[in-house]
Amino acid sequence: METFTKEELTLPPCKYEYLDHTADVQLHAWGDSLKEAYEQCGLAMFGYMTEINTVEIKQCSEIEATGDDLDGLLFHFLDELLFLFSCEPFLICSKLVITEFRTEGDELKIKCKCYGEEFTLGKHPQGTEVKAITYSAMQIINDPENKKFEVFVIIDI
Amino acid sequence: MVVRQYNQELEYLEKTSPYCWRIKKGFQPNMNVEGVFYVNQTLEKLMLEELRNACRPGMAGGFLPGVKQIANVAALPGIVGKSVGLPDVHSGYGFAIGNMAAFDVDNPESIVSPGGVGFDINCGVRLLRTNLFEKDVLPVKEQLAQSLFDHIPVGVGSKGIIPMNAKDLEEALEMGMDWSLREGYIWAEDKEHCEEYGRMLNADPSKVSMRAKKRGLPQLGTLGAGNHYAEIQVVDEIYDKWAACKMGIEEKGQVCVMIHSGSRGFGHQVATDALVQMEKAMKRDKIETNDRQLACARISSQEGQDYLKSMAAAANFAWVNRSSMTFLSRQAFAKQFNMAPDDLDMHVIYDVSHNIAKIEEHIVDGKQKTLLVHRKGSTRAFPPHHPLIPVDYQLTGQPVLIGGTMGTCSYVLTGTQQGMLETFGSTCHGAGRALSRAKSRRNLDYTDVLNKLEEMGISIRVASPKLVMEEAPESYKNVTDVVNTCHAAGISKKCIKLRPIAVIKG
Repeated sequence: METFTKEELTLPPCKYEYLDHTADVQLHAWGDSLKEAYEQCGLAMFGYMTEINTVEIKQCSEIEATGDDLDGLLFHFLDELLFLFSCEPFLICSKLVITEFRTEGDELKIKCKCYGEEFTLGKHPQGTEVKAITYSAMQIINDPENKKFEVFVIIDI
Repeated sequence: MVVRQYNQELEYLEKTSPYCWRIKKGFQPNMNVEGVFYVNQTLEKLMLEELRNACRPGMAGGFLPGVKQIANVAALPGIVGKSVGLPDVHSGYGFAIGNMAAFDVDNPESIVSPGGVGFDINCGVRLLRTNLFEKDVLPVKEQLAQSLFDHIPVGVGSKGIIPMNAKDLEEALEMGMDWSLREGYIWAEDKEHCEEYGRMLNADPSKVSMRAKKRGLPQLGTLGAGNHYAEIQVVDEIYDKWAACKMGIEEKGQVCVMIHSGSRGFGHQVATDALVQMEKAMKRDKIETNDRQLACARISSQEGQDYLKSMAAAANFAWVNRSSMTFLSRQAFAKQFNMAPDDLDMHVIYDVSHNIAKIEEHIVDGKQKTLLVHRKGSTRAFPPHHPLIPVDYQLTGQPVLIGGTMGTCSYVLTGTQQGMLETFGSTCHGAGRALSRAKSRRNLDYTDVLNKLEEMGISIRVASPKLVMEEAPESYKNVTDVVNTCHAAGISKKCIKLRPIAVIKG
């Protein structure tokens, strides 16, 4: 088993909520930076799949996502996280740390450390399955002047 | 998007019969054909309410109402006839859910759209009959429900128990139910009672991403979560005795098993991959749509063809998936009653797809045409004598399986000639959501819902308690309204009503 520092094991505060939508669910996440809002949005998705407080940090996987614009970047970031959960290593995360966050240039890029453990029936309560990430009504508020960083994503369930 | 007041919007809508509304051109920009939707009085209110809400100031950037989405689909290149909304229609991703649209394959402009199929490719319903009656099952109902729940992997993060490796998956994707048959999971007759005989021949696993295959492999033979379920049902009412008889349903009280599931993570990933590809194709071919979510590609383009081939592979995945669960259900019954599934007469009555696009022949303006028919939350309902339906149902018309929601009834309908003419042989698929999931969680209480089900004599096994609220009957449109509208409008005909006695859910 990997060993983690105390800092790595400290969980982030919860800065997300679930909003109304007829057939699906809308994730609303925010933070002190756009990076944090993205991290929180990823956690919001995991939070819909299980009770996140049952997830211990036992392993860490690193993912990379790219996109043409901020929307595309968020879409692919969440898609990578969903993929991490859906097959090997079946990772459910309670902490996400974006280590590289390139939001300018031709190709935007995220590198993220995903902390959690393998999803285990019996230990982790089953929430709702996320089928896919959508661009539908996606909104990214990136307003450094007013220190406002928020994202809205609809996930198909 | 055009901004108009609600009463201005209504000028574009015309009620042409008690069950049918017409959407005139101009309701949304660039409509190539008109739209139409089928609703009765109750459903009409829900539909117009959705539109009224969207017209309120400050709703910009929100979700488009179903009726707007039907009109946007009518603006897609190559569409023929009408963009059709079925009675269970509600807002979806790009296309409304409960929306069907046909595109002329011979028109080089015509498109195929993954949004017109949905993320859960070949999500569908399968109905098995038994020769048991309610009185045989009631004493062991709880054990039987538990046994089904133990046999079928359900819910988030569950893994299939049918042994599979990467090579098996490739073969299953190509062969569909022929694979299940070869491996001994199903009976030869099962294929006969399935759309496309459980195998789309144009499936090409090499067009499917590694990512989709990786997501699919552990999930084959799992039910999933959300609105998917396996139910033990009893025949509650027979409307058409002769047609029911052809399906092996003799009397009220007869026990059936209904399985509602799709292509799992495999199909979801195929759809996601295609949407990303098509965004690029749209820019290249300069295809204009009213809504970014209506990502599409010309049928003849590389992206269009690749999607159709990978979609077919996902369809095959879904049939193998439902077949694997058919096998598990037969095992559960066999163990409980200590009889072979054969002796329990556990035949497949039929298997329908309600999220799929298919090439079909239809008559448009008196001429036979080859069309690519998208059905999203819509079921094929072919009339009697149609060449694509099995011998057993040649005289009755194709059985159409309409799954209810947890605790409500389900129906078996049959296809009609009128449906063939008006809706390209399509009808509704289920109840359709009325309340959002979050609202259901807030307004309904877990124990209330469970108590209510218990009062109705329904045993329930569910992996996620939250889901019980989200999927409570109150969250959905009334399936009886939906089915009665289809019957009254003549686009399909009521045959059997089924009532659940046990529900297995994610």
